Amino acid sequence: MLTERIEKIRQSYVNNKPSISTDRARIWTESHKRTEGQPVCIRRAKAFYDTCAELPVHIFEGELIVGAIGEFRRCGILTPEFSWKWVDKEMDTFSDRAQDPYVITPEQREFVRREIFPYWKDKSLEEAFLARLPEETAKIGVDTGILDNDSKWRQSVGEITPDYQDVLFPLGFGGIIKKCESKKALLSPANAADQEKIEFYDSVIITSRGIILYANRYANAAEELAKAETDETRRSELLAIAENCRRVPENPPETFYEAIQFVWFTQIGGILTENPLSLNPGRFDQYMDPFYERDLALGIISEAKAEELIDALWLKYSEWVWTISANTADYFAGYNQFQNLTVGGKTREGLDGTNPVTFMALKATEEVKTHQPGLSVRIHQDCPEEFLAAVTELVSRGTGFPAIHSDSAGYQMLLNAGYEPDDARDWNNCGCVVPHYRKTGEWTAAVNMNFGSAIEYALNEGKSLMTGKEMGLKEKPASAFASYEEVEEAFFKQFKNLCYHSIVLTTTAQRVHVDMVPRPFLSSCMEACLEDGVDLSRGGAKYNVGPVITGIGLGVCANSLAAVKKLVFDDKVCTMGELAAALKANWEGYEELRAKAQAAPKYGNDIDYVDRIAIKIANTFYHEIHGYKDIFGSPFSTAFMGISNYIPMGRVLGATPCGRKNGEPSTEGVSPYVGTDTSTPLAAMRSAAKLNQEIHSGGTLLNLRLNHDLVATKRGQANLGSLIQSYFALGAFHVQFNTLSSKVLRAAQERPDDYRDLLVRVAGYSTQFVNLSKSLQDAIIARTEHAEF
Amino acid sequence: MALEREYKKEGSVMQIQHFSVNDGDGIRTTVFLAGCPLHCIWCCNPENAGCLDAEHRMTVDEVVGIVAKESIFFRNGHGGVTFSGGEATWQQGYLRALTEQLYDRGYSLSIETCGSFDFAGVSDILEKMDLIFFDLKHMDPRFHRLFTGADNAAILDNLKKVSGLGVRLVVRIPVIVGVNAYEENILKTCEFIAANAPAASLELLPYHRFGADKYVKLGLPGPDERYEELRVELAPGIAAERMDIPSDEMLEHFYDIAAAHGIGRISFK
Repeated sequence: MLTERIEKIRQSYVNNKPSISTDRARIWTESHKRTEGQPVCIRRAKAFYDTCAELPVHIFEGELIVGAIGEFRRCGILTPEFSWKWVDKEMDTFSDRAQDPYVITPEQREFVRREIFPYWKDKSLEEAFLARLPEETAKIGVDTGILDNDSKWRQSVGEITPDYQDVLFPLGFGGIIKKCESKKALLSPANAADQEKIEFYDSVIITSRGIILYANRYANAAEELAKAETDETRRSELLAIAENCRRVPENPPETFYEAIQFVWFTQIGGILTENPLSLNPGRFDQYMDPFYERDLALGIISEAKAEELIDALWLKYSEWVWTISANTADYFAGYNQFQNLTVGGKTREGLDGTNPVTFMALKATEEVKTHQPGLSVRIHQDCPEEFLAAVTELVSRGTGFPAIHSDSAGYQMLLNAGYEPDDARDWNNCGCVVPHYRKTGEWTAAVNMNFGSAIEYALNEGKSLMTGKEMGLKEKPASAFASYEEVEEAFFKQFKNLCYHSIVLTTTAQRVHVDMVPRPFLSSCMEACLEDGVDLSRGGAKYNVGPVITGIGLGVCANSLAAVKKLVFDDKVCTMGELAAALKANWEGYEELRAKAQAAPKYGNDIDYVDRIAIKIANTFYHEIHGYKDIFGSPFSTAFMGISNYIPMGRVLGATPCGRKNGEPSTEGVSPYVGTDTSTPLAAMRSAAKLNQEIHSGGTLLNLRLNHDLVATKRGQANLGSLIQSYFALGAFHVQFNTLSSKVLRAAQERPDDYRDLLVRVAGYSTQFVNLSKSLQDAIIARTEHAEF
Repeated sequence: MALEREYKKEGSVMQIQHFSVNDGDGIRTTVFLAGCPLHCIWCCNPENAGCLDAEHRMTVDEVVGIVAKESIFFRNGHGGVTFSGGEATWQQGYLRALTEQLYDRGYSLSIETCGSFDFAGVSDILEKMDLIFFDLKHMDPRFHRLFTGADNAAILDNLKKVSGLGVRLVVRIPVIVGVNAYEENILKTCEFIAANAPAASLELLPYHRFGADKYVKLGLPGPDERYEELRVELAPGIAAERMDIPSDEMLEHFYDIAAAHGIGRISFK
C-alpha cells in the first residue's frame, strides 16, 4: 500500500507533461564566459560549482528526499555545451512531437536563443564532432538510421555506475576532497605529467565542494520552510531533511535515510554535470541493506518507513526527464533515462546476495509503477525460491519489470571482457541489458548498426532501395549471383563495411570527448580516477572496456538469407533477379512469391536451417568488431540490445527477402521477427540461446509476450520461474516479458487517459504505454503472444 | 503365468505439444496418441480417429528424440511428459515402449485416461506414472452410454484398481451443463470417489467449445447437432438448450460437495 504522500506525488508524475528548465543552461553558460582560457576540466568543474551555488532551491510538497534540477517536478534541462543545434532546430515542436514531447514556453525559447546558444556557436561537442568526421562516414552515419550514434555527440556519455561501496559511502565528498588534497601534495607542477593530474584533482575538489554546497543550501531552505510550517508533522520532516542535507553527501551516511538522500544527491550531481544516459544506481540492495538492518536493530526505522523512502526515490528517478532530440527519442523512447538498478544475484564472495532491501525494491516498482529506475534482477540457479517467486509475480503484473538476467551469463560476459573474477561476480546492469561493473568506463551504446542495410546493399548494387542513393559498397546486380554462398559473401562484405564506419564514428567521438568534456564530478565517483589522478574521459577507470556496437536486425537478416537460400537455390521457385525485382517493387505484384518467402524457415522456432545463419552473422559480428581497438587500446565489444531502435532502423530499410515490406520495423536484440515465432516460447528461447550469447559482452536481449492467463496464478508464475531457469541453463543472458493482453493495449491506445500509468516493456526497459508514439504502440501490440495450450 | 507384454516400435501420434502447462507439474510435453474406445459427443479432438492412418506414424525413437530435446525445460519445476489422446492406452504396446524409454531417462510421466482399458494389460504402464488423470464423465450408466457410446461399469471398476496402485491420482470431470452438471450426478461421483479412490483429488474441467471448428473442417456433425438428437432422451431437469459452460458458482458448489466427502480439490491452471 502506498502512503497518501507517495500516491499524491505519483499522480503528479503520471499526469504532468515534462517541462524544460533553462536555469542550468543559463548558469553553466555564464560560468563559461568567466573562465575562458582555463583548463577545460577546471572550466567544467567551475560551471558545475556555480550551478550548485546558484540554481534555485526547490523543495516540493510532501517530499522526503530533496534535490531538484529545475523549477518543475517533472523536469528536463539543457546541455548546450554538447549540442545546442538540435535544440534550436527542434524546440519549436517540442510540445507536439510524436515521441517524448516537452513543454517549453515561447519566452524560454526566446531567452535561450538570445542568451545561450550564441555563446556555444562553434564551441559545442556536436560541431567539433561533425567537423572531424570523415565525409564518407558522415554520409552513412549522421541522421541516416543506418548507423546511429547521435547520443554520443548530441549528448553526454553517461553510462556510469557510481561506486557507493568503495568510494562514496566510505568517504563522502568531504573525504574525497581530503583524498585529492593529499594526492596533490605528492605532485609537482614542475613535472609536466603531474600538471595534468593536479588539474584533475583541482577539478574534483571544486565539484565536490559544489555538491556539498548544493546540499547545504537545501538544508538552509528546509530550515526556513520549517520555521514557517504550521503543520507539526511536516515541520519535523523538514527539520529531518535539513539535518540529512547538512550531513550528506559531505560525510559518510550513517542511517538508511541519509544513505538514500546521498544516493539522490549523487544522481543530481550527475544530471547537472552532463544530463547523462544510464547513470546507474547499481546494486542498490547490496549497499543499502547494511543501513536498513542497522536502523531496524536500533529501532529508528520501520519496514513501512523504509519502503516509503524507496518509493520516494523511485519517483525522484522518474521525475527527471532526459532531454533528447527527436531522433534520439526514436531510439530511446519513453522519457527513459536508463537509470538501471540491479537487485539480487551473488555477492563478490559468491554467496547469494538477496536481502530484505531486494524484496522492497521489487515491491516499490510494483506499487509505485514508475518507469524508473530500470529494475533488473540477477537470477542464479540456486537463488532463493521466494526471490524467483517475487520476480515472476512482478512479471505477472504486466509492467515488463523486472528485466531478468542470468547471474552466471553476466559473470561470464565480464570475464570475457577481461575483468577479475571477484569484480565480475559483483556485476550490475548498465542502461538496459549491459552487464557492467561500478569501476568501469565504457560506452555501452556507442553505435546502433542496422544489419538489414547490409542485405539491402548486397542485393541492390550497393544502393538504398527506398532512396536509390549509393550508401554501401559497389556490388554486381543480384541476378549475377550464382550460388547462395556468393549472396552470403556479398552480405558480409557490406556488413563489414558498416562495422568499419561504426568504428570511425566511435573513435572520432571518443577523441572529441577527451578534448572537450572531461567529467570531474563522475570521476570523483570512481576509485581508480581518484587513485591515479586521471579523468574518466581519459581512461581513468579501473576497467576501460571497449565501446559497444549494437546490432539491430539479426532476425531480419537471418530470415532473409534463409529465404534467399530456400527460394532461389534450394527450391528454385524464383531466380535472384526475380527476387530482387520483387524487393524493388516492395513485393507489390509479387504476392505469391511473398507468401513463399514468409513461409520460409524463420529464426525463433528452433529450426537449424535458419538459426545457423543467425549464429554465423552473430559470430562474424563479434570477430569483426572485436578486431578493432578504441582510443585506449581496448577491443570493441558487441551487443544485441533492444531499446526502441528497431523501429527507426526499420523505417529506412527497404523490403527484405524474409517478406518484410518497406519501412516496417526490424528486429530487436536476439528476439525473433514480430509474429514469426509461432511455435512455443521454448523454441524462441532455444533459437536465441544458440547464439553464444556470452561473447557479446555488451549484452543480449530477448523480449517475449506471454498471454496473461499463463501467469495469472501462483502455479503459472512458478512455471514461468522454471522457464526462466531453463533458458539460463541454456546459456542465455536476459529475457523480459510483456504479459498484458492485446485487448488491454488496444483499449489503452483508444483511451489513453484511462491508462496513464500502464507500464509496458519496450525493449530492455519499460515505460508508460501512452507515452509511446502510435507506431511504437502498434509494434508492441504486434509482438507474438504466446498463449497457453 | 507371466503376462505376455506387447511392445510396438511404431504407433500413431496425433500431435506433440511442447510447453504444455495444464496437464501435470511444471513445463511438459504432451504426446497425443491416436485412437479411443469412447465416442464422446463433445470430444475436442475429433480428428483422432483419422490419425490412425500412415501419415501420423512415428517410431518410439522419433518421439523420444523430440521429447529429449525439450528435457532441459523439464528440469526445473518437475516438468516432464504427459500422455494424452484419444485414449493413451488404446495403443498399448506403443505406449509401453514409450513409457519404458522415457521412464529410464528419469522424466516425470503423467497420463490422461478415460478409464476404459483392460487393467491387467496396462497396469505395468500405469505403475510407472508419477500422476494419473482419470476421467469420470457420468455416474448414470444409461447417460454414459448415450453420450460416450459405452457403459461405465468397467471404468468405475478400473478407478478402484488404479487407486490401488498408489500412484498420485487426480479424478477429472468434464463439467457440461445439459450432460452431467447437476447435483445428483456430482454427489454420486463424489460418493464413489470417497469410497473407492480415497486418496484421489478432484479437478473440474469446465466444458469449452474449442473443438467446434474441427468438426466443420472434418465435415462431421458438430457437438451441438449431436446433442440436439440426444437430448430427447434426457429428463427435463437435466436437458439444456445446448451443451453449455458451467458458471463459476456452480463449480464452487460442486467443489463444496467434494469437500464434504473429504475429497481435496486441485487445479493445474
